[in-house]
Order: sequence, then structure tokens, then C-alpha cells
Amino acid sequence: MPGEETDGDLARRAAAGDRAAFATLAERHYDRVYALAWRWSGARAEAQDIAQDAMVKIATAMNGFRNDCAFTSWVYRIAYTTAVDHIRARRRVVALEPARISALADGADNETPENDMIGQELWRAVRALPDQQRDAVLLVYAQDLSHGEAAALMGCSEKTVSWHLHEARKRLRIILEAV
Amino acid sequence: MVEPDLIRLKDTPVPPAGDDAKRAALAAATAAFEKSAPGAKGSTAPQRLSHASSPTEGKKKMRQTFQFNRALAASIAALMIGAPAAFMLSRTYAPGGGGSTSNLSGGPISPPAEVAVAPHMEAPAAVPPAPAPSAPVAREERAKSTTAAGALGGRVDGVAPPPRLAGSVQDGVRQKLSRSAHDAKSVAAVETGASPPVDRHVAPESEFRDRFDSKEINSVKVAATEPVSTFSIDVDTASYAFARRALNDGRLPPKDSVRVEEFVNYFPYDYPKPESAQAAFKPTITVTPSPWNPGNRLVHIAIQGYALQSAERPRANLVFLIDVSGSMSPQDRLPLVKNALRMLVDELKPEDTVAVVTYASGSGVALEPTKIADKSKILGAIDALGAGGSTAGGQGIQDAYRLAESNFDASAVNRVILSTDGDFNVGVSDQSELKGLIERKREKGVFLSILGVGQGNYNDALMQTLAQNGNGAAVYVDNLNEARKALIEEASSTLFPIAKDVKIQVEWNPARVSEYRLIGYETRALRREDFNNDKMDAGDVGSGHRVTAMYEITPANSEKKLVDELRYGKQKAPAVGQASAESEFGFLKLRYKLPKEGASRLITQPITDQQSMESLARAPQDVRFSIAVAAFAQLLKGAPYLGGYGYDDVIALAQSAKGDDPFGYRAEFVNLARLAKSARP
Repeated sequence: MPGEETDGDLARRAAAGDRAAFATLAERHYDRVYALAWRWSGARAEAQDIAQDAMVKIATAMNGFRNDCAFTSWVYRIAYTTAVDHIRARRRVVALEPARISALADGADNETPENDMIGQELWRAVRALPDQQRDAVLLVYAQDLSHGEAAALMGCSEKTVSWHLHEARKRLRIILEAV
Repeated sequence: MVEPDLIRLKDTPVPPAGDDAKRAALAAATAAFEKSAPGAKGSTAPQRLSHASSPTEGKKKMRQTFQFNRALAASIAALMIGAPAAFMLSRTYAPGGGGSTSNLSGGPISPPAEVAVAPHMEAPAAVPPAPAPSAPVAREERAKSTTAAGALGGRVDGVAPPPRLAGSVQDGVRQKLSRSAHDAKSVAAVETGASPPVDRHVAPESEFRDRFDSKEINSVKVAATEPVSTFSIDVDTASYAFARRALNDGRLPPKDSVRVEEFVNYFPYDYPKPESAQAAFKPTITVTPSPWNPGNRLVHIAIQGYALQSAERPRANLVFLIDVSGSMSPQDRLPLVKNALRMLVDELKPEDTVAVVTYASGSGVALEPTKIADKSKILGAIDALGAGGSTAGGQGIQDAYRLAESNFDASAVNRVILSTDGDFNVGVSDQSELKGLIERKREKGVFLSILGVGQGNYNDALMQTLAQNGNGAAVYVDNLNEARKALIEEASSTLFPIAKDVKIQVEWNPARVSEYRLIGYETRALRREDFNNDKMDAGDVGSGHRVTAMYEITPANSEKKLVDELRYGKQKAPAVGQASAESEFGFLKLRYKLPKEGASRLITQPITDQQSMESLARAPQDVRFSIAVAAFAQLLKGAPYLGGYGYDDVIALAQSAKGDDPFGYRAEFVNLARLAKSARP
């Protein structure tokens, strides 16, 4: 992007305590963090919560950023871990599938498009997968990472990711064919 | 066919974040940045995340490492920037996929409530407090280590966990119920490495995310073998407001969410009043024919609490603890709470104080304790509240109690009022600590009330437990009218207790009554010996509150008994002392403590023929209306005792007893009964 500072430069300054640089970065990356949060949680209000949490974490960890990887990837990783942790924390209390129920709950504000979204069934099925299968599917298919990249984020081997995907596809196929 | 579908996942549009949410997130991030910037604070530890706001600590080892190889980083970065194009995904299968997913899991599909049912009948009997094992379990859960699955595994088999605290048995039971349900869930949710868990299920289509503990409906008891019935009073009304919301949406409320006593106690009744604050209660008993069971009779027990006059009303030291997380942004949540607070501020006296604490990603004091005399400052603080962030209730409640204590006044009412859409994000393991905290504060004189809003996330069981442990009521508010009722009309009863640990015990006379059934109060059952035990915590009653309880009784010698008499060893009726009087159905005892006293007081009254009405039509209007409400709640709950009595009968009875109804509560009730006829389950 010509005329704009790169993430790298901004991140270096932010890590050194430059408030304006951080504000620019935060503004620039919020939407992506939120999009990831939505893909994992499936509910707008919850995605907003996760995104805010992730932004706070990013801010808190900013001065630990060493610029030895792209800032975007660093943000991405925090967003991913925040989303997964959030969903786990929630699931320890509610084991119900959240997406459609949140959509139902948020009906009052009438601005929750996921209710009408075509393809909701697929999201629902994917989010109902076991955690690691879900993460593998979302990372590889929704976020379009390679198996190796997904493995690095998930903290397991590439083979395990492939296995999770295999299991996930098997499960999803049974769902589809059962209908 | 799966593969092409999955490929489309990345092209599905993401519903945009709200501007408010984005602004709030960026503001929170900036604030956090400033707090942790090197200039502001000299900490240079690389692992900042360990003290980040999320309550979910203990990430996996891999996730704590924020450094990874550059090639990978670059490709991920590239992918993140590629914005997904809008793309419509064709529907490849019909709705109902959720249901079949459940079948996939192989295990039985049980709604969360059922987990709780099994242990509850036995639980009150004798559970010695065993706090020791709880700590390691809690730690384990917090650590979310994969071994947690093993540690908790045993619980799934219906073995209730030990009570967390040596609290009252009633509390212990409630807590255990919710814990056993939660534990089962958490086990289902814990990932165990590479092996795919089998026990995962998707909720049925109609399931609510709101959580309710289930209790079995009170059964019919035989007066000869079990003549004594004991329960704690309950002045909560959340169940009714919740059902109203579901019905207005065209749905029947979940059966477990219906508590008959909360329906009945929702309505204001004009019962005879006690004369002074010393005799805090006046019971009025009416015996009428049962409208749904001609041979039976209903014993209607109305208890009116003394209403403090404004001059006698103690000063109030209130701290509002307000959930401002992102999920609170819809109109019926934070904006509603703010309006309710504005109304309340108008009602309070100048020397009362109000403080406001918010909680979301972090917790913050929005307003230090401020006298109502400085109204504009309070209103300004309320106006400035905005939703955004995720919930971290634990810190918030600590802050709220700290303020309440800093401004503590032994002669005042010191109360924290928690307003939330439900999730108190402290994690299951911390719920017991939270409950312990609330109990300790209660002993010190700071009480807790809960104002619940929103639907979909509402954690009824937790809110009930918290409010009960904090000597407070849980009120569910779904519109401003309801908020006015809860906070203004009943402000004095919500805020100013006239009695605590109020228990009721009825002894039935087997000579007159063969069977009886307490209608509702399932969650409030006490053991017989708990009645005289002043250590036993029970419900609290605020100024002017009234409580109604009803029994359905089958008179002795009735043909319609549900339980046959024993053929052998005809039981002799236990000696009822000198009061074996033929004229008494039973004997009512009411025990309560004045707010600042430790020893209980007793009120007694016989249930006699004098209170008996020949027909329901001759019973007072309020009695008839409350019976209609009880019938309605039992229908919604699916209770099996109503025979052919239906919604039309409820409507007819309620219509005949509407009376003045200045605020339209009773008319609204009739409408709800009409809606229930056509609501889908």
C-alpha cells in the first residue's frame, strides 16, 4: 500500500510504546480478527467479544513483539488462540451448539444476518465437530491454510491435521447422507 | 460431495461487526496498550498473555510461543489479507442436520437437565461437607489440561461431586445439581488428544441456550406416612417473565424453566396485612374445592409481609454491577438496564448512595459511591455506560463488594445489584468460589440481588443460586414495564428485607386428609428437621412482599385416592396430640427471623373448616386468580395432575378474577394463556 506505513514499521514503533502506531495497527487489523472470531464462534455478539479480547491481548503483548515474524501472522495467531479458548470456556458451561441459538437469541436486535444465511447448516455441522477437527477444517478450508500451516498453529504434526480432516469429512458425510 | 462444500467455507460472507463493538474493542485495546507500554510500566516479561484479561488461562504449550518460522508467517499473512468474496452457498441438505448429528455421536441424546435429575432425590439426605477434593479439581479444570477428562470422568456416571462448601444443604444440593450437569458437559467438551471423542452432541433444534436446572414435579404424599411438608419461601418471579417472553415469541417455554411458585408470586395480591413490623407476617388460609379435581380441595396459604413506611425505610447503600460485554448491546439488555437505573435513581431518597461498577474484558468503577442528592452525576455515569468486550464477572463482583464495604453502614441496606444477560464468565470451577464469596459477604451484611436481562444466554440456574446465597432475589426483566415493576413498585421489597430465612411447615391431619401435594416449590424443599434449625438458610422476604403456597389435598375417605391403602397393618393415625380435633385439616407453622436477628420467630395457624369455601366462586378474587395462575404454570410444566383442565379453563377462571388490575398484569396473563394455546413447543 503506497503512502502507508507497513505493518512492520508500525509494529516496531508500537512495540517501543508508540501509541499512534498501535492505534493504526489496531484499526487496520480489527476486521480480520473479527472475521476469524466469527468463523469460529458463529455468532456476532460472541465474535465481537472474542475480537475485543484478542485486541486487548494484542495490546498487552505488543511490547513483547520481536518482529521476527510478520505482524499479521502474529495477530492471527493471537486471534486464533483467543477464539479457541473462548469457545472452550463457553463450552465448559454450555455444551449446546451456539451458532443457531445465539442467532435465535439475538433475534431481538433484528440485525443478525446469520439467521438467514444460506449455508448455515454446513457451518453448524462444522462447528459441531470435535474441537481439533473443527479447527483443522476451519483453518484449512475457511482460512485456506496448508496442512503444514494449520499444523503449526494447532501445535500438532501435519499428519495429525490430515487425519483430523479425514475424520471430519467422514463425519460430515454421514450427516449429509443421513438427511 | 463433502469436499466441494468445505471449499465454500472460505467464501461465505462474514456478518460485519457492529461499529460500536469495533469502537469499544479499539478503545479497550488502546487502554490496555497504554497500561502495558514500556514507558508506563517497566515490565519486560515476554509472556504478557499470562495476565491478559481472558479468564481462560493455561493455553497449550504451542500456543504460548509467538514465534514461528518466517516462511509460514508470510503465507499466513498473505491469506489473511485476501478478503473473502461474497458467495452464496447452495443448500445441500435440509434442516434437521443438527438432529442427525446427534445420532452420530452414538450416545444417548440427553438434554442437560436430565443429568441433574438423577442425584437430586437422594441428595438432601446426608451429604457431609467434603471441601477438600474440590480444590485440585478446580485447578485442573482451570488448567484445562487433557487429564481433566480423566479426573472428571467418574462424574459422568451420575456420581455427584462433593459439595464445594459447607453451606446449607439446600444450597449444596442446588449447586451440586448444576455442577453435575456442568461436569458432564465439560467432560463431553474436553478434547483428548488425537482420539476423536464419541460423546459429542448437538442440541435438538428447539433447545434454548438458556440454562435451567430441572427438578421433578412434587409428587402426591400420603398424609398417614408422611404428614409433614416443609419448604422455604420463594419470592422470585424470573420464571414468569421468562415464560412470557417465550410465549410472546410464539414458543412454549422449556418445561424446566417453569416454576409454579414464581408464576403465582409474580402477581400483586391484596391479602390482609400484618399490623406491625414485629409480627412481620400475616397468614390467610382459604380452602376451596379443586377446580381440576372435583373430589379434592385446594388449601391456599397467603402470607402477607409487613410493608415498611417510607419513613421507617433504612438508608440504602447500593452498588450496581453491570455487565457491559458485547452481548449486552441489544435494546432489551444494556439500554433497558440503563433506563431501569434511571427510574430507580428517581425513586431513592437523597441520602441513599449509588455506585456503579462495570465488567467486561476488565472491570472498572464507573461511579464511586455517590449520594442521590448528586443526581446529575449519577445519571451522567449511567448514560456513559456502553456495551463492548467480553465478560469477566469475577473481578467485577470483587470490585462491587469492595465499594459496598467501603461505604458500609450497619443501619443501612447494603446491597450489590448485579445486572447481566447471564454468563458470568468465571468458569465452572470458579462458580463455587464465587458462591462462597457471596455467602461470606452476606454474613457481613452485604446482600446480592440479580436483575437478569436478555434471552438466549440467560443462565438461570447460576443466577438463582447466586441470588439465593446472597439473600437476594433474581428478577428477570424483559421490558421497561417489567423493570418498573421490579425496581420501582417493588423497590422496597427488592431492596429492603423485613425477614430472612422464612420457612413454612405444614402438618397434615391424617384423620381429615389422606393425600396431599405441594404445588410448586420443588427447588425449595427442606427436610422436616430443617424447620427448627436456625442455621438453615432459607428464603428472604422484602417489605410488602406476599407469598402464596397451595396444596392440593384429597380428603380422607375419598374415592379418588391415587395411593391405595395398605391391605395389611392398617396404620394407626399418629397421635396429633390434643389437637386431633376433627375440625382441622392440618396445622401451618411459619418460621422467620427479623433482618438483624439470629433467632427465629414462629407464627402458627390451624387449617380448619372455618376457612373452607363450598365453591371456588365464593373464594376471594385474589385466591381465584392465583389458582388460575397455578393451573397455567402446571399446564406449561406438563404436570400430570390436572386431568382435563386446560388453557380455556384457566382463561375463564382468570377472567372472572381480574379485578382492578391497574397495571394490566392480569390482562396480560390472560393473553399469555391464549398464546399458549397456539404456541409451538
